[in-house]
Amino acid sequence: MQTKILLDEEHIPKQWYNVQADLASPLDPPLHPQTHKPIGPADLSAIFPMELIRQEVTTDRHIDIPEEVREVLRLWRPSPLYRAHRLEKFLKTPAKIYYKWEGVSPAGSHKTNTSIPQAYYNMKAGIERIATETGAGQWGSAMSFATMLYGLECTVYMVRSSYTQKPYRKSMMHVWGAECIPSPSTKTNAGRSMLEKDPETPGSLGMAISEAVEDAASHGNTNYALGSVLNHVCLHQTVIGLECREQLAMVDDYPDVVIGCVGGGSNFAGIGFPFAGDKLTGKHKDVDVIGAEPASCPTLTKGLYTYDLADEAGYTPLLKMFTLGHDFVPPSMHAGGLRYHGDSPIVSRLVHDGVMRAVSYHQSEVFEAAQTFARTEGIIVAPETSHAVKSAIDEALKCKKSGEDKTILFNCSGHGNFDMTAYDAYYSGQLVDYEYPDALIKKSLARVPKIQ
Amino acid sequence: MKRIGLIVNPVAGMGGAVGLKGTDGNVEEALRRGAVPHAMERTRITLSRLAREQELHFVTCSGSMGADILQETGFKEFEILYSFSGQSSVLDTKAAARRFKEAGVDLILFCGGDGTARDIFEITGRDVPLLGIPGGVKMYSAVFAVDPVIAAELVVAFDQRNLRDSEILDVDESAYRAGILKTRIFGIARTPASAGKVQVAKQVYEEPDEERAKQEIARFIQEVMLPGTAYIMGAGTTTEAIAHRFGVQKTLLGVDIIKDGTLVASDVDEKTLLDLVERENEVRIIISPIGAQGFLLGRGNQQISARIVRMVGLKNLIIVATPHKLAEIPALYIDSGDSDLDAEFGDSIQVISGYRIAQRKKIHQSQNTTG
Repeated sequence: MQTKILLDEEHIPKQWYNVQADLASPLDPPLHPQTHKPIGPADLSAIFPMELIRQEVTTDRHIDIPEEVREVLRLWRPSPLYRAHRLEKFLKTPAKIYYKWEGVSPAGSHKTNTSIPQAYYNMKAGIERIATETGAGQWGSAMSFATMLYGLECTVYMVRSSYTQKPYRKSMMHVWGAECIPSPSTKTNAGRSMLEKDPETPGSLGMAISEAVEDAASHGNTNYALGSVLNHVCLHQTVIGLECREQLAMVDDYPDVVIGCVGGGSNFAGIGFPFAGDKLTGKHKDVDVIGAEPASCPTLTKGLYTYDLADEAGYTPLLKMFTLGHDFVPPSMHAGGLRYHGDSPIVSRLVHDGVMRAVSYHQSEVFEAAQTFARTEGIIVAPETSHAVKSAIDEALKCKKSGEDKTILFNCSGHGNFDMTAYDAYYSGQLVDYEYPDALIKKSLARVPKIQ
Repeated sequence: MKRIGLIVNPVAGMGGAVGLKGTDGNVEEALRRGAVPHAMERTRITLSRLAREQELHFVTCSGSMGADILQETGFKEFEILYSFSGQSSVLDTKAAARRFKEAGVDLILFCGGDGTARDIFEITGRDVPLLGIPGGVKMYSAVFAVDPVIAAELVVAFDQRNLRDSEILDVDESAYRAGILKTRIFGIARTPASAGKVQVAKQVYEEPDEERAKQEIARFIQEVMLPGTAYIMGAGTTTEAIAHRFGVQKTLLGVDIIKDGTLVASDVDEKTLLDLVERENEVRIIISPIGAQGFLLGRGNQQISARIVRMVGLKNLIIVATPHKLAEIPALYIDSGDSDLDAEFGDSIQVISGYRIAQRKKIHQSQNTTG
């Protein structure tokens, strides 16, 4: 009974898959926050290297992964694909459950899949320093690791609530030589103005993005890097789904259901886009691609599909996406990485078009699922990842009811070794099941900029 | 050094064990039926956990109203500010509360039931924070700690900056003895909150303080209140804060009606509400859970009857409560008097707890609450 399906290092993908090539019509372009006109490469060149700007807009189906990047990816890729025999047995489901284990990367999650190429392209463009933000700390540590490898400096603006809650993420960043600052901070105009408005704010990804963008735009040697949402980030993550497809082929299988948790959308994109591509091109029309998000920040299930800012202060372009409004500060639940008001424009488009779909869960139920997973498969997953686990268990239980032996694949995006206070809160009955009061809000998303 | 005033109602709880549903005015009958005072035992549990605390200074009453049990649990340096003789009565409870208030104690810790809470609050109002050790027959008021051990923890963690609002419920004693529970909100005291403390340690960040949380809820509700719709506003400080945002002075303890930002009627009864619901096209109800058990319907807001709720529709019920209050209440109770309606609520409900933030809270059904 095979448990791990392993690929040889030579099978690390040589090209990323760009789902934009297979969309029926082009994505709606990002708009300038002031003029509301489509932005061009020049608008982004102050904070991004040209190669990443090119990847952001290209409709080429395949994009070569530089050999120098693949060399680094060898440190943990190809990541193992597991068959969750023990979980299946526990659930008494006829379904086959597979999970892609991305927690094997040095930073403990999928985030390094894009931090490495982003740091690489910036280094190639002569950039000396990166300013970025982090929610739960996964992206900040991944970027710290990547910049260290390529000899860049790194400043990470970490959402204040996570900074306080997860001191060891901050320590990791220090080990890899980065500077980590709680956001909002007094270092930027954006941060100062947010603190003035609300000195007690727990911070949000939107606020931290504003700070990092301002830092990058005001320092000549510094570029900005984003850990999710943007097209090039989703592109880099497709190594996950590409490897999965190959690994499943080794056991003569193909998924009926593909699941990832969703905050900004990059890990969901990573596992989902290659399969969504198969659906778009008609190779596998019936594959069900599901994003699992928190009930407290249910962007895809309860948001509006419209143009909105990607940050709090309004420095970023307007993106066409599902959004809860850029001024929405999600409650401080433990899955800090999923606290984002918007979503990847490509993920949003695919959900809007019905190619992918989304579900939402409360905190308590996802921790219960995470406990089941830890007690069957052994891995203690991150609170973010536990949303995907919950969805996979739900799908497997549906199969139990219907008697179907579907193949379920989910992205096990990261470990929860720094999240034990969250598990403690679960066990002491302290978890609050936050949710978004969408029925009351429907008429009040007034602050989303209106674009005609 | 925190100065704590201790009042034990030595006869509290005696009526319950012998089927009297309350001890007020019934001490002799309770004793005749063989009741044993147990307020002392309850207080002992709390005090024995406080005996080693250096930062607490107790002031109390003589004998069985406090001094005896302080001595028994090892307290040596406490002051007796009020002395009584014979069988203690309501008058002694009130007189002691008055002395403590005059002496400027930081907190009054008392052991008793709803009657004791009401008697003390009548004297102190919101000037002195109150904390009850549950020791009576009826404890619907929100000033009570869940149990005597938690009461001790709350005393140790007590901080003037971390207080929550707590309804003092007045139960109609004679109706109660006849098997009918009729309550009204007597007042809203201030009580040490545990939520903030717990949230800091276990949650991601410190919850905003109670006042700020109310403002956040009010800001959100104002944003989603619709023109041309009549809002039935239940009792309490959270609904009061919503009315304040419109510049409307709402009654704190009654049910009021607001439409298009103005007060249409205040402190209304069920009949007025029925007329309103029949007259208006669009009606919504905004209420906050009441009392120690977190009652949505059936306690304190009884004007908002099952009939009214049915006519307005469950989907038009908006529940609001601060995170602090919700942290004290593991589940909400509904006892509308219409068990079919109670069942329609299902097993959980959405409670607005901040700006564009809600919590999903579990619901207990009423049959679990009144026994």
